[in-house]
Amino acid sequence: MTLSRRLTPYLYILPFLLVFAAFGAYPLAYALRLSLTRWTGAGEPRWIGLDNYTYLLTSPEFWASLGNSAVIWLLVVPIQMVAGLGAAVLLSNARLRLRGAFRVAFIAPFVTPLVAMAQVWIVVFDQDHGLVNHALNLVGLPDVGWLTSTAWSKPTLALLFLWKTTGFAIIILLAGLQSVPAPVYEAAEIDGASRWRQFWSMTVPLMRRSLSFLLVIQTLAVFQMFAEPFVVTQGGPFGSTTTAGLYLYDHITASDLGTGAANSFLLVILVFALSLVSVRLLRAHDE
Amino acid sequence: MSTPIHSALTRRSLLRGAAGAGALAAAGGALAACGGTDNSSPTALTASDSGPLSGSITIWSRSGDLFKVFDAAIAKFRAANPGVTVDHQAVDIDAKLANTLISGAGVPDGSFWDDAKIAGQAEHLYDLSALIAPYRDQIAPQKLSVNTVDGKVFGVPWDLNPGLLYYRADLLEQAGVDPAGLATYDDLLTASRALRERNAQAKPIHLDADPFLGQLWLEMLANQQGTSLSDDKGALRLDSPEYRRIFTWIKQAVDDKLVTHTPYLKPADLAALEDGTQAFVPWAIWFDFAPQTLLSRTKGLWRAAPLPAWTPGGARSGAMGGSSFVIPAKAKNPELAWRLYEFMTVKTDGISSVYGPSATYPGGLNTSIPAYLPAADPAKPLFQPIEALGGQDLWKVATEAAKTIPAAAPIPAWWAKSVDYLGDNLQRLIQGQMTPDDVIAESTTQIQRNLVDRA
Repeated sequence: MTLSRRLTPYLYILPFLLVFAAFGAYPLAYALRLSLTRWTGAGEPRWIGLDNYTYLLTSPEFWASLGNSAVIWLLVVPIQMVAGLGAAVLLSNARLRLRGAFRVAFIAPFVTPLVAMAQVWIVVFDQDHGLVNHALNLVGLPDVGWLTSTAWSKPTLALLFLWKTTGFAIIILLAGLQSVPAPVYEAAEIDGASRWRQFWSMTVPLMRRSLSFLLVIQTLAVFQMFAEPFVVTQGGPFGSTTTAGLYLYDHITASDLGTGAANSFLLVILVFALSLVSVRLLRAHDE
Repeated sequence: MSTPIHSALTRRSLLRGAAGAGALAAAGGALAACGGTDNSSPTALTASDSGPLSGSITIWSRSGDLFKVFDAAIAKFRAANPGVTVDHQAVDIDAKLANTLISGAGVPDGSFWDDAKIAGQAEHLYDLSALIAPYRDQIAPQKLSVNTVDGKVFGVPWDLNPGLLYYRADLLEQAGVDPAGLATYDDLLTASRALRERNAQAKPIHLDADPFLGQLWLEMLANQQGTSLSDDKGALRLDSPEYRRIFTWIKQAVDDKLVTHTPYLKPADLAALEDGTQAFVPWAIWFDFAPQTLLSRTKGLWRAAPLPAWTPGGARSGAMGGSSFVIPAKAKNPELAWRLYEFMTVKTDGISSVYGPSATYPGGLNTSIPAYLPAADPAKPLFQPIEALGGQDLWKVATEAAKTIPAAAPIPAWWAKSVDYLGDNLQRLIQGQMTPDDVIAESTTQIQRNLVDRA
């Protein structure tokens, strides 16, 4: 094989490699270097080794931000997996009347701009003039500080996230359901399996890959959650909705770029580990 | 006019939000894009006196009414200097200016900016000390001090925002309280108790529920006593008799149930201002915006007085917020930008065109006063008495109170970030979850560890 013939494939992928190097590899390497420095954007970055990482790992605020994200994950992902699967099964039933309308209704929030919906959330959950507290007052219940109390701020944000992204979960799960062969259910019906038995013993196991994919995607989304707290609570009250993503952003806007970069890498490691656990669980079941 | 409201809003800026949403994935790219600068020592700007001015400059201002006011002033400057072209742009300065200074791309020749932001970006700005020198003694000490870093001046002081005590004249009269007798903060507590005796629902004193504005307000009370969160070397001085005095007073007011704790001019706050629950708002001069435009039911019933003093005979005001003009070190035509700002801040024609009656503000711009003391003469008002304050001459009240404002210190770059600690802890104090000593100890530890040590 001539040299030019051997080089040809590399020439074909060269444009991609150049773009990747400029906009993927270089920024990553730069950010890694930056994470080992102190730099506010002015002057030269000062090399400080692992100090940014040490600072973050011993910072109560860093762990609190991860804790906030973890609580929101608990409030969102299990509910979304169960409710999403239930809704997907219902929506895949050909005998369901107005099925198309229901599908649109479930998926509409997913395609609605998040920032606009976040503004609606602010209005609806306002402590003094919100619709929700107004409804509570009508049945004799007191006002709740949905966005102003540390007890309720995370559930209120989690509800927004659920409302916004459950449509996406349903799309994923509906696609998974399409891949389950119909004869499997026909055989089960002939064998006398009840609807519940079919769901539990056939649908759920056959949907494991879709559910695992959803688990990974939503875990990533929750730990990167930014716009919801940024618009609705700005991380308050008292940092109770400062998610991992918002905490990272705070460093960058405070021109603490080295710490921001270190925070990015710690989050990458965390999210990578969580994803790995999910994938391992899937493989264990497959084996 | 000061800009804390804008500052708070811009934290929610959608553009920055979008940038942050992808921060995890894009942090590397974003940070890489910033690039480094070798701009380690500020350049001193001097101006030559070489006849008629000519050339073109790009000037950034915030959008809104203030932009229109500055636009009119710029037109006047251009009329006097026909050889000058000014590209006056309305820009989201909080979102763009710092990034622009760091990247060095598309830098304007001059920009409006919060005093709180200037010291943190001094390395990217021209040292204006030589140009300000002829006017030093005529500029409000507080404004000069917040624009000074290591003895060098980096901002052209524009407005001064004296703190005043806004009060409901009708409610005080009904309760037999003489506003002229509100000489100290203890007098304010006594008067508040009198108001509550007359109206059991009254919680007369406004304390703000927004951590950012709450901390800005706290700094006004500290400035009134001649101190601030950090000194000119950046060392914290929260653990001091002055701050302890403020926190103790707040606790007393809270314990005596004399406080309405609501976010500034949000619906709950407006309702309490209108229905007589609140009668005292110790706030910057720019609160006068509320009676003029928001408080339709109580318009004309509000008045302004100097703040009470912390000790008998003490200062009757402190500054709350404020803005200046900066000239970036990479400006293409810095000298011309200086000439424009000099016109707007220390020349009679320029100051009058900003503060005096205009198409935008027929009665004049009354939400701040000039930082240039000769222009802030109580006997020579630039804006007119305000009907929403019962025709009161706010100019006289504000300029006289402003004379007592002590000097301050440069505002550290981490000031806004310290709201996560001090601002939050102040809220906890108001909610009865912390004592004054707790606020001082915990905030000091948090700010020292997370901000000062890492500055």
